Amino acid sequence: MLVTQLKYDLLMFSRELFYLVFTIFVPPATYVFMGQLFGEQTYAGNLSYVQTYTPSFILVITFTVVFFAFGFDQVTHRTTGVEKRIYLSPVSKNTLLLSSIIRSIIITSLGFGFISIIGLLMYDLEFQLLGLITSYGFFILLNAALLVIASAIYSFFKNMNSALVFSIVIFQVVIFTGGFAMPISMMPKFIQVIADFNPMYHMNNLFIAVWNGQLTFDNNVFLSIGYIGALVAIALVTLRIQNKRKIG
Amino acid sequence: MNIINVSDLKKSYGTNNVLQGVNFQARSGEVIGVIGKNGAGKSTFLEILMTIKQYDAGTVSVLDENIKSLSMNQLEEIRKQISVVLQPTQFYKTLKVEELLKLFKAYYKSSIDIKKVMADFKLEPHRKKYFDKLSGGWKQIVSLAIAFLSEPKLLILDEPTTGLDPHMRNILWSYITDYNKRTGGTVILTTHNMDEIELYCDKVMLINNGLNEVFDTTEGILASGYKSINEFYLKKVSI
Repeated sequence: MLVTQLKYDLLMFSRELFYLVFTIFVPPATYVFMGQLFGEQTYAGNLSYVQTYTPSFILVITFTVVFFAFGFDQVTHRTTGVEKRIYLSPVSKNTLLLSSIIRSIIITSLGFGFISIIGLLMYDLEFQLLGLITSYGFFILLNAALLVIASAIYSFFKNMNSALVFSIVIFQVVIFTGGFAMPISMMPKFIQVIADFNPMYHMNNLFIAVWNGQLTFDNNVFLSIGYIGALVAIALVTLRIQNKRKIG
Repeated sequence: MNIINVSDLKKSYGTNNVLQGVNFQARSGEVIGVIGKNGAGKSTFLEILMTIKQYDAGTVSVLDENIKSLSMNQLEEIRKQISVVLQPTQFYKTLKVEELLKLFKAYYKSSIDIKKVMADFKLEPHRKKYFDKLSGGWKQIVSLAIAFLSEPKLLILDEPTTGLDPHMRNILWSYITDYNKRTGGTVILTTHNMDEIELYCDKVMLINNGLNEVFDTTEGILASGYKSINEFYLKKVSI
């Protein structure tokens, strides 16, 4: 059953132009475009463009897939009545959830590979097997954290239009305050304050450090891990409460 | 044997007391029509029976289980024995008709041949169309075809014939009556078409002002002096 559900989940994703544009087209195109503009720059930790922005754009794809194709999709199904109809079918909720999670991991892993190949072909990205495996493992952890957070956030939406507006706004906020457009240290002070509250900013910093083998467990790293962990815990509690409320 | 037992069922949405003490029983093999004006609480009542809506007070027993006391897993087990058509009908919009039938066939672990179902419901010309692109009537037909992919103990249909032309209505009713005779399954449905109630239903429950004002056999209602169920409805329910 899981394989059948997954097959149709992937098929449905491939047919949603809105998801494809935001996940498969926009982040890689931006990665290439920014590389042409800032490819020669040196960034924090004495890292090159490709060392800094390859993990960053992998994370952007992960964010867009998880928030649009996982979170927003949940709102769509809930508000149009699809969720209600599926609940009345003899398919377990765990199968549906697992299929949705595997679908997100497959698509984001494709994003991981896609950005890496662009980096390899255009910007002389270098790989080491151990580093690649560690990065991919950490990327899966970030995936899981984002899935939980997105699911909790979107569980509050009862209207598709408001979820769509929220998704587009949050995409902009995340891009500008997550360190994906330009280094946060070059941004105005108020953006830097907002960035501290943006979990994607912390995830981005951690992922860049892991990707480049520079992760050292100092106060900043513990703060980032603690903040993300706290958000995941709050999201899990929220999901538990929302699931109890679901049958109204 | 009673498939459903409902006693003093109450449900409100804020200050709107939709159901104020409904009593209802359905035996195995019965076809029961639930009627009432728009907003009377028919869909709410059916959704409570489907186990997807909570209620404020009363007792609801479905397939010998008091649904209030069941865990989510136990509710999922009950739902395996129920097939439904909801109002409005919605499925994954980016799946084609044939794909939807195949997916739900997998859900129900059904042995029914999809080609036969598509032929029976005249879905062949629409098999490659996305569900979202179908007209309201055809969406309803797909929903009905999916409901008949399994052979449940209980079939709950919320306005199943709304938007269907007379031919499709006949096909639907032939499916319902055939299912009912062959499997002894119970059918509970809502409709605004009183002719259908008169032709096909064993019993009628009229929900009015939050109560089951009348719950009797169709024959019993007609024997009490009404020329038709339509006349009964018009006399009992004011605008």
